Order: sequence, then structure tokens, then C-alpha cells
Amino acid sequence: MLNVEKYLESGSRVLVLTGEIDASNSVELDAAISEVVQEGAKNILIDCSGLEYISSAGLGVFMSYLDEFEENNVKMVIFGLKDKVFQVFHILGLDQLISIRPTKEQALEG
Amino acid sequence: MLKIPTPNIGKISILVAILTWLALLFVDITRIFQSVNQMDHSLAPEISYVLEILFFILVYIFYNHSINKNENIDFLNLIWRGVSTGLLATIISLSISIFYMMLGGSKLGSDPLLSNFFYHVNFAFVSLFLISCSLLWKHLILYQKTKKVVQQWQAFEVLLLMCMFFVFFNGNNFDYSFIFGLVFLTIFSASLSINLKWIPYLTFKEKWKSILFLVIILICTIYLFSKFGFYSESEIAFVNLNINLFLMGLFAFVAIYTLFSFLVTLFNLPTSSVFEQKLVEAINFQRLSQSIKPGQDENQVLDILIDSSMSASYADGGWLEILDKDQIPQLIQKRFIDEEVRQEIITLFQTVKPFSEFDWTQDDNDTKKFYGKIPHNIFKSAFLIPLVVNKKTIGRMYLVKEVRDGFNKEMINIITTFVGQASISVENYRLLNEAIKTERYKEELKIAQRVQRSLLPKELHHNEKFEICGFSVAADEVGGDYYETKNLDEGVFSIIIGDVSGKGTSAAFNMSQMKGIFHSLVQLKPSPGEFLFKANTALSQCLERNHFITTSYFLLDTNRQTIKYSRAGHCPTLFYDHSEDKASYLSAEGLGLGIVRSPNYRKYIHESEFHYDKEDILVLYTDGIIEAKNKKGVEFGYDNLKAALMQHKNLSAELIQKRIIDQVYQFVGEGGIPDDDFSIMVIKFNS
Repeated sequence: MLNVEKYLESGSRVLVLTGEIDASNSVELDAAISEVVQEGAKNILIDCSGLEYISSAGLGVFMSYLDEFEENNVKMVIFGLKDKVFQVFHILGLDQLISIRPTKEQALEG
Repeated sequence: MLKIPTPNIGKISILVAILTWLALLFVDITRIFQSVNQMDHSLAPEISYVLEILFFILVYIFYNHSINKNENIDFLNLIWRGVSTGLLATIISLSISIFYMMLGGSKLGSDPLLSNFFYHVNFAFVSLFLISCSLLWKHLILYQKTKKVVQQWQAFEVLLLMCMFFVFFNGNNFDYSFIFGLVFLTIFSASLSINLKWIPYLTFKEKWKSILFLVIILICTIYLFSKFGFYSESEIAFVNLNINLFLMGLFAFVAIYTLFSFLVTLFNLPTSSVFEQKLVEAINFQRLSQSIKPGQDENQVLDILIDSSMSASYADGGWLEILDKDQIPQLIQKRFIDEEVRQEIITLFQTVKPFSEFDWTQDDNDTKKFYGKIPHNIFKSAFLIPLVVNKKTIGRMYLVKEVRDGFNKEMINIITTFVGQASISVENYRLLNEAIKTERYKEELKIAQRVQRSLLPKELHHNEKFEICGFSVAADEVGGDYYETKNLDEGVFSIIIGDVSGKGTSAAFNMSQMKGIFHSLVQLKPSPGEFLFKANTALSQCLERNHFITTSYFLLDTNRQTIKYSRAGHCPTLFYDHSEDKASYLSAEGLGLGIVRSPNYRKYIHESEFHYDKEDILVLYTDGIIEAKNKKGVEFGYDNLKAALMQHKNLSAELIQKRIIDQVYQFVGEGGIPDDDFSIMVIKFNS
């Protein structure tokens, strides 16, 4: 089960992910991000404080936007990752490519 | 050889009947002869009575046999047989009358021999007609018979038989006992004549025909009866054959039953179409409910549906649409309506209520019906009903009529039932097709599974200096885990373990690509870092943008006792150091293959090398082991894996692997199922 909510804060789009991301619902995450991109957001914050699990398919979604964001100068920051979930990002090495911050305040600072 | 022919009851009985009749004639002529020559009357009237009874019985046997032979004859044909014998008897009787009229007062006209002959002819044909007609009516009475009716009929037959012998007591006198018997027979006949169950089953046209036939029979009966009366008054014969309770009773029975049938059929005419309609509806319903066999088209059901709905509502036109794969309505069936007119009406439907309220996406369409008038110059009223399967609207049927308010509640009810039944048939058909398709996919997956199994090595390369074993299980039929070894030089081995992102079929395809890349690159004997760089370059070309592969690549040199490795986003390898009696995860930086698809990837590659000793153990695995969850949702995790290794470190590589797998399964528990592919390789160094 994955729940995605969106709100706007200090000029940044914030996506709140709660639940689990696996192969079956990674499409929902992709749709949510692509919608925000379509709206022309330049700063995207992803609140993962309610995220319990992410599978390789979910990581693949974040990964697939990396080139596009770099080209279009879109900044994506993930914050509030639980330790267990952060480990998944870290082992794959995605933390070297995506900005990951502990809290929203730090994420807003950039 | 003399062949004995099988006795034909019909032929024999009619032959004997004719002989009996001739005997009867001969007896009477003898009497006339004796009378004319003023001789003594040596022949008792009882001889005539016996012959008469014999004649009746034989005729009865003949007709019973001949009617039973044609068991499946329909009602109209049955009545027609009665008409034909009736007409024959009447025509013969009429001809005799006309013949006598022409003769007038000539000598031949008063010849006793001739008139006696004609008297007997007339008697024979009237008997034939009455007996055959009674037997025909018997068939009609016993249609959809109950035990009570059968008993009643049998009693009637016994009664008639008794009447034949009545003549011995009564001697053909028209006395009170005769009248009493006749009245009794008439009442009995009337009570039998209420059995008219065959009439409703006639169609409207058949009813008209049967009315005509019944009238003819009635006229024949009345005419013949009046002639009979005339004969009985004249003194032609010495023995009156006609004043016979049996014949009179039959007259009464045939006339009453014919009259009843005629009246009931006549009064049934106006309601005939309703009964017919209901019968057609019942048959249509039965046709609709017979499920379609696989291979047949669901259009057949829709064809029956629109035809039965149109006939149930007397609609003047109609059509049926079914949604295709892209959810676009396709015209499947069309009846009695021009395409041009149809388009006009469709345009009307978009604006006219209630038809404009139809919505394909509503999930309560199965309870909705749309009917009302439409402002069109040909069709004044319309009816629209959705076809719903499992709450999903799959199509809709339109019916139009040239009259206003053409659809009443009964029609709508029966059509709704038809549509419901047809929808069930279509659903069954679709489910069956789907099941067949799924079965085929399962078969294909089994093949894929077999092929993929063969992609994982059965034997792992090694030498006497270390033991190695590997195990892999996929969450679905096919998986994305991969491991392999290769002997590069004397004592030098390359070992790889990898995990393709996602699972199932797509992962399996990418896994086979990884195998190909491994086998190509390993021939160049690259360093682990070089291997990852080249593999990343190759995979950048062939992986989908949101897919990646994690892997760890090891170069094991048993000569120098060193291991050189690089990690590309794969789970950190577990290493047991025997000298320190400690297990730890080898931490090295790295990034999964296919994430950065440019030469920049080199930045993320790190190579490490370490020395190993005897009794050291290396455990390679995929994240399926770490993320294996129990019922409470707790993952097996790194600590459990490490603890398991420590517990079994003294066993052989194969046993260590087995124990760890057992422990994972134990942790997951009975109810848990592996959610992801998982693989494990254990390497234990001997020296």
C-alpha cells in the first residue's frame, strides 16, 4: 500500500509518501512525480518519514528521473528516511546521486 | 421353403371385417329371399347381432392399430383423418339418396335387394366413421393424461362394449331402458369432453383450421344421424342394425366432443397469441441460458437476445452495441432499421431524457432501464437497456417502436430477464476463454522457468583449496537473481553474484543479459573495477531507464590467497575471519549498474583487496535473504544472517548454506512466503 499526498511549501513541491513501495505500486509513484514535473516544479521535496519499505522497483523510479532533472535543473531532495530505508538507498549507492537530508528544514535549505 | 408371413393386424382385421360385413349382408339377403318366396324364417336375428358386434370389434381393432402406428401425428392431422372419413361416409350416404331420388318411383327404386344392399353400405361407413372418430378423440382426450382421465376413458370403453351386447336384451327396441342407457352414455361423454388440453398448443393458424375441420365433422355427424333416423323409420331391413345403443352412444360422444372442441377453440382464438408468445419466450429463455461452448461466438447469444427481445416487445427496430477492447461501442446486431435512421435516433438519444442519462461507467447500470418517447418522425418510443457483467457495462441494447408508449411493464420485465440471462452466458463464455488463455500462459511460464533454471550453473568452478556452493529460489516462476563462476587461470577464479531490479519476467530477461555480459567480459580477464565499468557501459545500452542491476564481482587468487573485489550497489558481502573468530560485512563504496549511464560511472567504482586464511568463510547473497519477512512484517536482517553464520561456521560450505536457508525459512514461518527472489553462495577456504 502506498499513499501519495502533495502540498506546496516555500515554493517547493512536497510529495508525502506513506506505506510501502514495491513492484506492484511503483507506477503510482512514477505517476505522482511525473505529474509534479509536468506542472513545472523546479524544487521537489519528497517526505519519506512514513515510508516503511522500498523495493528495487521503487528505487528504479527515482533513478529514472535523475538525468531528466539534471538537464532541466530540477532539484529533488528526499528527507525523513527511516534508517532501514536509507540503508537500501545507501547500499545501492543512490545516496551519492540524490540529495538525502534528515529533516524537512534541512531539505528546504538545499 | 415356405415362408410364414408375419401377421399384420391391420390387414387381417380389415379383411375379416369385410368378410363379416359380407356375411351380414348375405344373412339379410337370405331373409329377403325367404320372405319373398314365403318361406319359413330360419335365421334368428341373433346371427345378425353377433356378426354386427364382430364387425364393430374388428373395425375398432383396425383403427386402433392404424392410429397407434402413427404415434407422433399432430393434432391437425388427427382431426383431418376424422374429417376425411366423415366426408367419405356423408358423400356415400348423399350419393345413395341422390341415386334413389333419380330413380324416383321406378321399379328398381323399390327393389328390396338393392335397398338392402345400400342400407348395409351406409351402415358400414357410418360405423367406420364413428369408431375411427372416437379413437381419434381418445388421443385428444388422453393428451397430457392423468391417471384419473385414463381410468375414466377405460370405464367408457367398457361401457361401450357392454352397449354392444345390450341388443340381446333389448332386441333393438326404442324403449325406456334404451333411452336410459343413451342418456347415461351422453352424460358420460360430456364429462369426458372437458379434457381439451391440446387446444392451447395450437397456433393461431392451426386453431382456424381445426375450427373448420370440427365444423365439417359436426355437420357430417348431424347429417348421418338424421339419415340414420330416416332409415330406422323405414322398413327396409328385417333386422334393424341402426337402433343400437353402441352406435347411438358413439354418435352422442363424437358430436359432444366435437362441439366442445369447436366452442373452446373458438373462444381460445383471441387469447391464442398471448399463449403463443409466452411459449416462444420460454423457449427463447431456455436457448439463452444454454451456455456457449468454447470456440463458439458470443454473437450467437446476442443474436438470440435481440430476436427474442424484439418479439417479446413487438419492437419495430433495434440494435445492440458491445464495447470492444478500447471501450468503444461496436454495433453487433441490427434489426429492421436503416443506418441513416439509426444515426438520427442516436443523435436524438444524446439530448433526449432519459436516454441522455445513460453512462457507461456507472456501476449500478444493471438496475437501470431507460424508456420513453422520442421526437422522431418514424419511431415514437424507445427502450434502452444496458448489458452488465460483474457490475461492468459491456454493451447496450436499443429497441424502438412506431407507436407511443410502446413498452409496457410486462415487456420490460421479460426483456430484462433475457438481458440478464444473456449477460450471464456472455460472462461464462468470456471467463472460460480467459481460463484457457491463463492455462496457456502458465504453460509458457513453466517453459521459461526451465530455461532460466538452466542459466544458473549446476557446477561451480573451484579447486581443492576452497569449497563453494550456491542456491537460488525465485519468488515467481522466474526470477532476477544470478550467480556464476569462471576459472580464469591456474588457481585464479572469478565469482559473480547479481540481482536485477524488479522481479518476475522482466527481471528474468535482464538476468540473462547479465549472464551474456559476464561471459563476454570475463574472457578479457578484467580487474573487478574494469569489469563493472564495461558491464555498466554495455547495460546502459540495453536496460530500460528505470531498471538497474546490482552485483559484486570477485577475483579469487588461491595462489596468493587474496580476494580482489568491487561492489556495484549489491548487498555487502559477509566475511568470517577465523583468526579473529569474527564475522563482518565488507564495506566498500559502489553504485548499481545502469544508474549512471555515462563514463562518469568510473567515479563510483571502488576496488578492494584483502588476504584470507584457512577456515575463513565468504557468504555472498542477494537482498531477498535480508528482506525476508515474517508474519509480523519483521525482516530477517543483517544481524540474523551474521548470527547464523557464526553458529554454523564450523560446518562445511554446503551445510552452512543449508543451515542458513533453513533458518531463513524458519524465520519467515509457515504463513510467510518469499516476497523476492533470493540466492546465497558460501565459500569456505581449506588452506
